[in-house]
Amino acid sequence: MSEPTSRWTTVETIGRGVRAAPALRSGFGLTLGLALLGAAGRVVIPILVQQTIDRGFTDSGVEVDTIALLAGIALILVLLATWAQRTAVLRLGRRSEEALYGLRVRLFEHIHRLSIADHSEERKGALVARVTSDVETLAQFFQWGGLAWLLDGTLMLLVAAVMLSYDWVLAVVAFIAAAPLALVLQRVQRHLVSAYDLARSRNANVMTQISEVVAGAETIRAYEAGPHFVRAAKRASKERSDSFITAGTIGAFLFPSGEVFSVFTVSAVVGVGVLRGPGSGLTAGAMVGFVFLTYRFLEPIAEFTEVLEQTQTAVAGMRRVLGVLEIPIGPPEPETPISLPSGPLAVTIDRVDFSYRTRGDEDEAPVLIGLSAHIPAGQQVAVVGETGSGKTTLGRLIARLADPSAGTVSVGGVSLTRVANAELRRRVTVVPQEPFLFEGSIAANLSFARPKLSLAELDDAVDALDLRDWLDTLPEGIETQVGQRGAQLSAGERQLVALIRASLVDPAVLLLDEATSSVDALTEVRLTRALERLARGRTTIAIAHRLSTAARADRVLVLDRGRLVEDGPHRVLIEAGGVYSRMYESWVAATTSTD
Amino acid sequence: MRQALRLVRALLRHHHRTFFVAVGGAAVFAACTVYSAVVVRMITDEVIDPRFRRGTVSSSKVVVVLGALILLGCVRAAGVVVRRTFAGRTQWRAAESISAEVIDRLSEQAVPWHRSQSTGDLVTGAGVDAEAATAVLSPLPFASGVVVLVGLSSVLLVATDLWLGLAAVAVFPLLIVISVKYQLRVEAHYDTAQDELGRLSAAVHESFDGVAVVKSFGAERRETERLAVIASRLREARLGAVRLRSTFEALLDALPTVVNILLLVGGAYRVRAGAMTVGELTSCIYLFTLLVFPLRLIGYTLSEVPHSLAGWNRIRALLDQPVAPNPADTLLQGVDRNIGVAELHFAHDGEREVLAGVDAVIEGGRTTAVVGATGSGKTTLLHLIAGLIPAGRGTITVPTGGIRLVFQEPFLFASTIRENITMGEDFTEHAIDAALAVAEAGFVHDLPDGLDTEVGERGVSLSGGQRQRLALARALVRRPAVLLLDDTTSALDPNTEAKVLANLRATLGNTTVVVVASRPSTISLADDVLFLDGGVVVAHGRHDELMQNVPRYRRLIEAFEHDRAALDADADADATSGGGV
Repeated sequence: MSEPTSRWTTVETIGRGVRAAPALRSGFGLTLGLALLGAAGRVVIPILVQQTIDRGFTDSGVEVDTIALLAGIALILVLLATWAQRTAVLRLGRRSEEALYGLRVRLFEHIHRLSIADHSEERKGALVARVTSDVETLAQFFQWGGLAWLLDGTLMLLVAAVMLSYDWVLAVVAFIAAAPLALVLQRVQRHLVSAYDLARSRNANVMTQISEVVAGAETIRAYEAGPHFVRAAKRASKERSDSFITAGTIGAFLFPSGEVFSVFTVSAVVGVGVLRGPGSGLTAGAMVGFVFLTYRFLEPIAEFTEVLEQTQTAVAGMRRVLGVLEIPIGPPEPETPISLPSGPLAVTIDRVDFSYRTRGDEDEAPVLIGLSAHIPAGQQVAVVGETGSGKTTLGRLIARLADPSAGTVSVGGVSLTRVANAELRRRVTVVPQEPFLFEGSIAANLSFARPKLSLAELDDAVDALDLRDWLDTLPEGIETQVGQRGAQLSAGERQLVALIRASLVDPAVLLLDEATSSVDALTEVRLTRALERLARGRTTIAIAHRLSTAARADRVLVLDRGRLVEDGPHRVLIEAGGVYSRMYESWVAATTSTD
Repeated sequence: MRQALRLVRALLRHHHRTFFVAVGGAAVFAACTVYSAVVVRMITDEVIDPRFRRGTVSSSKVVVVLGALILLGCVRAAGVVVRRTFAGRTQWRAAESISAEVIDRLSEQAVPWHRSQSTGDLVTGAGVDAEAATAVLSPLPFASGVVVLVGLSSVLLVATDLWLGLAAVAVFPLLIVISVKYQLRVEAHYDTAQDELGRLSAAVHESFDGVAVVKSFGAERRETERLAVIASRLREARLGAVRLRSTFEALLDALPTVVNILLLVGGAYRVRAGAMTVGELTSCIYLFTLLVFPLRLIGYTLSEVPHSLAGWNRIRALLDQPVAPNPADTLLQGVDRNIGVAELHFAHDGEREVLAGVDAVIEGGRTTAVVGATGSGKTTLLHLIAGLIPAGRGTITVPTGGIRLVFQEPFLFASTIRENITMGEDFTEHAIDAALAVAEAGFVHDLPDGLDTEVGERGVSLSGGQRQRLALARALVRRPAVLLLDDTTSALDPNTEAKVLANLRATLGNTTVVVVASRPSTISLADDVLFLDGGVVVAHGRHDELMQNVPRYRRLIEAFEHDRAALDADADADATSGGGV
């Protein structure tokens, strides 16, 4: 991704993150105040012990009334603190869930509006990850790390304040004695993180190995390679266990180190306190209180190293999320759109270059170079060329799924950059190579083109393309479920659905990206028939893989490595004896039986 | 509960030793925790009190008491280290055993079983469920330690002061019940949230995959709204957990504090009555604070149990399924090089018969094309001959010397090209190169790492045609007596396909080749054609004979050539007159 975000510091990232998700900021001061009050509930006991010892157990005996009074105050304070803590946690939870929801929706919208150039195959996974796993790191953070910051952070602050107010010398002794713990923890934490990284990647490896055994079961059987793959999977599983055990062992030393430091710190505090004695203004109660407070102070530290790690992960996740929001949406909507003339539309391609964007701001090698062609309204054109010649990309530019890097594409004499997106989608429609169907019924997939159509209208569209006989072969007709990505239908049938879907939009320009996959004979007949009906009266540009399509077209454009090398009717190009005639010859050879 | 015990017993079958070491560590921790309360009493009564109320304390006393505190802390920490280390070891070794058992079972099951299962479920079973099932082992030693802790603390509390002790001990069950209830309820919320997250991920995946369609129909806003609805369900599920958590966490924090305050008041009366010292009271309160976290752990452990049980039950369900006999064992060994098929029946799920009595002798050393309309059972016939699926009725006789099937959709493993061809067997570099050459897979040598190039999961980094050629090389390198090709060259461009077929003819002199084909060019290269229709062999003979004598066959071939026919009529009527039409 083109990520200016990688230059942002942690503070900058958090700042921008809060701006992107304003729900986080609203009322945060109050939440913090409530958390502080809540933390007070957890230092009530040490203070009460101190007060009781110093005021309740005097030399003259046990002042039960004083103790009862103190306990009463403490009780009220605890109840108040409990309410405050609950409210603070609830507020943080609500605000963060609200913020994450908002962030997700912003991401959905933004990503859907990105240029198709930003949706290349290798990036698709990354985009999905931004909305799912990266936002999820933030969610995890707010559920644990953020809460820990709020509750434990305020607790440590408060404990430190109480310690300082009792006796600053002892407090400083406690802080100094405990300080090395932070260093130790940080060290161990670093090892722990890399150990868990390894364990996680080994875990992924186990999943891969096992999925091979399962998904490749037929191949493994057919080649009697079972033992080999079982060995590999078991080895992966053993390695996973080994690395989790190693990580667990490191973790086993991390947490008790807090215990060890606690006893040393308590000893230091008691030792120094006893040395200084009552003359320094210390009381027995304060001493006992100190013992309690020291434990309270050190309790969250071990957890805090984990929280710090999680915070870093969350900030990194936030940085990536913001990175996506920084990608400009495209192609941008024109400020003053020009409406397209009615009726069939001509397509003009004028000196067009195009490159896909990769990481950073560099462009990949150009896919189209200096391409020009004029396609009159109503003409049937086939674009041919080998894989990688740029034919699919050319289709995408005509549909303005992306803008050319240089040059212009116009439809009906209007540059695409001046046409409102909604109008363009209505007039120029693409039937993609591997038509994508959403999970659901055929009817639902058709409605995707025009949401409010009745079943009767959908049926009309089916009849218009002469596909009734096909639909009747399906178990539940138009209500047949297509499965995930349309997997329940054959590749050819998915194309048929896509053709009906396109016809519902009634476009002036039709862009057909032919399927490469083999289609059975009957479906092939139906496809050809439906296409002919759909193409009637429309400017049709077919990105052709089958040369029969090219032979039927009014005109053939031959692309080779991004350049237009031949342009003319089928028969003329055959006679010219160039690239196209050679392609055609080998295709004829393959589809004719020798008898 | 009985189920949970059975689960733990099953998990510990091979790992009880490490487990009991972990429990030992937890017990040491518990004992030290309780004893540290005694030390706190000593600090209060024998160090702080004498120094601050009476002015002096012997320094040796201070050293002894603080030394005891430090020693105890270190032993206690050591107990934690032992417990955690060995608990992790127990869990992961148990997970390893279970995974191994599942992996063995997966490889034992025959193809029909695999076809009836969902890949995702099986992978989850072996990978994730093993971890889930054993997850309960991780907190279990600590939980057992907590039981020791509660027991010892109760004894100490009651011994220190009968009435105060009893009052404190009475609170333990209450705390345990609340925390167990809470954990179970909050886990249910997290499970719901997890499901919603799964649904959201799937929807996002689908939506972004279909981004071209979304854009083509200007449906960006509609898609965003659809996803927003799913995201809002996730938010609601999480908010449910937040609500529960905020209340219970606050309650579980407050309850011990309140009890502590009451203990202090009660204790004050006891101290006044001379029944206990200030130090003893302090140590009671100290002990009670120490117990809060471990008590909550019991709730946590119990909340793990349903997850572990669910994982374990899924694994059991997988392991308890019977292993069907290997269909390859039902193939008869012939005396000659022919493949004989007699009265062969086959039906998917016992419904409509795909093969309804196929009889044929496929001659050894020749190339036979199996031709038929979509759904005529061509692929099924090949899979039966390869011994992947069992016949319903009838016999199949095959020659010795190995049968290799190349699938219609080639499966490549996520490793190197070399691994994909050898699949763990030893082949010389020369043999591999030769196989690649016949399969026209010379592109391998142009790849940056040649044979050692990683192909990615399912071979994603390669094109369909490249995958098919590697799958072909995988079969060829094994020099089988019978080569079964299931429309193996469909994704190749016509030029390459012709070359591959020519290579096969040139190099496979003695090999019996059975090829499912739909391209006329492929069919015409075969010596014989086996024409399947309606589940039986309609004709078996040379292509041109069948074209002449079998009208149904001719119509099918003409349909295959329809594409060409349309072209001839439309554009190029006289260019190929006298062709196949």
